Amino acid sequence: MEELLTRIARCVESGKTDKASPYPPDMRGNDGADELTKQALDEGLSPARILDEALIPAMAVVGERFSRKEIYVPQMLMAAKAMNSSMKHLKPFFQSGETKRKGKFIIGTVAGDLHDIGKNLVAMMIEGGGWEIIDLGVDVKTDKFLKAVEDNPGAFVGLSALLTTTMENMKKTVEVLKEKHPSVKVLVGGAPVTMEYCEKIGADFYSPDPQGAVNYLKQFAV
Amino acid sequence: MNSFEFDFHDLEIDAPSIGRLLGYGEGNLYNVFSDLIRELLGNASRVCSVKAEYRIFHAAEWNDKAKTVTLTGVVFRLNDIVYKQLGKAESIAIFVCTAGPEVEKLARQAMEDGDPLACCIYDIIGSAIAESAARLLHDEVRKAAVLMAKNITNRYSPGYCGWDVSDQYALFALMPDNSCGVRLNDSALMSPEKSVSGMIGIGRDVSFDPYPCSLCHRTECLFGNPRRRQL
Ligand code: B12
Repeated sequence: MEELLTRIARCVESGKTDKASPYPPDMRGNDGADELTKQALDEGLSPARILDEALIPAMAVVGERFSRKEIYVPQMLMAAKAMNSSMKHLKPFFQSGETKRKGKFIIGTVAGDLHDIGKNLVAMMIEGGGWEIIDLGVDVKTDKFLKAVEDNPGAFVGLSALLTTTMENMKKTVEVLKEKHPSVKVLVGGAPVTMEYCEKIGADFYSPDPQGAVNYLKQFAV
Repeated sequence: MNSFEFDFHDLEIDAPSIGRLLGYGEGNLYNVFSDLIRELLGNASRVCSVKAEYRIFHAAEWNDKAKTVTLTGVVFRLNDIVYKQLGKAESIAIFVCTAGPEVEKLARQAMEDGDPLACCIYDIIGSAIAESAARLLHDEVRKAAVLMAKNITNRYSPGYCGWDVSDQYALFALMPDNSCGVRLNDSALMSPEKSVSGMIGIGRDVSFDPYPCSLCHRTECLFGNPRRRQL
């Protein structure tokens, strides 16, 4: 049983999605996260253990390696893909309420901005940290963030922007969210964003990379 | 107005160069992804419509104190670095170029199909196309300058080298509507996303600096720190 969890974790860390996947070359022909997760559930392992003892720790390793620049985006994405192939077996348990996630994370690219590759990477890594993602997409107006916060009490919010000009809309969104829901935690990021800017607009956290956000959220996990 | 449509092959983008932008040299890991990169590059090359346009303004009014240049009544607030490089120019070429919307569509589709890696590779390919289009456009301006027996400067873009990105409004005010199919929104963002705009100085007393980044202290920029680009 333990061994199965270790194997799932190894598949996720190295981006081995399923048996048919040729990546990584040294695991060619082996079962991937997909088959092993199914096997684990069939053998009676709980979805919660698969999430907490295999997927989350594996994605944390991946995030740390990315932050240290030991791996690059492609390997991070292969890991996220492997994680998704495992998650697909766990989702029915989340939906039925049998297994709980760490909490909800609402994410979007702010109004006036269409850049989403960074936002998508952050969403994938936070999902890999065990959080349910509510992705509002790009060019998200403040009202839409507000509604999502109201529909999902206790959720955290992540804002992304590409340019200093679109970053200004981040400020507006933070102001409104904080005014109506002072306790909501807002995370900000994107190429032009800095720690100083985060503090200036009254957001709660800034990170230049996804792993920083995953680590920050850990303290709030339910 | 001078308009161009570039052939993909002239952009000189090959799979190893995309691999390098993704962070990989010629080593083992690049080999793992090289077939995929080659395939996606092939798809992108078949659909992309790479366009560029420039317009030359001969009467540039310079203000040394305010570090501004005015072209037909439109004021650009350059910062020190850019002003220093462009300030001796007799004419200014304003340009817009784009990789077009097609590769972005491929990226979006890949994401919808649950393939984030392909999405990311298409995204990098799109950026590389836009960058190369700017390089080819620069060559065209150089050719035009040579005919006038003049030199050119490096190209400078609002948002780089500390030049405020909000000068995009001024720049687009001088280009025809929908230049190369590129539009600027209220937040100064261009769409298609994979587009580059900027200025090139033309004159007898200007020169091209092969090491422009020595002038700037930013560490997080495309030119200044190639490692950060690997993100
Ligand atoms: C590649 C690139 C381009 C490409 C593609 C652009 C695109 N949008 O796809 C091209 C060459 C076309 C381009 C054009 C321009 N660019 Co450009 N570009 C870059 C570059 C080098 C990388 C951007 C990128 O795609 N990174 C990869 C993705 C994955 O990273 P990311 O989105 O930043 O997300 C990561 C983090 O930021 C973080 N993150 C993101 N969101 C969030 C959210 C949260 C909550 C958290 C915690 C973290 C987080 O995690 C992600 C993963 O690590 C950056 C500089 C840099 N190194 O960042 C400049 C940069 C973004 N560009 C810049 C500028 C100015 C421009 C132009 C305006 C220049 C011009 N006048 O033509 C245009 C604008 C284009 C437009 N559509 O309007 C500036 C923006 C700053 C500013 N001054 O406003 C930058 C920062 C360069 C600089 N000056 O230092 N650009």
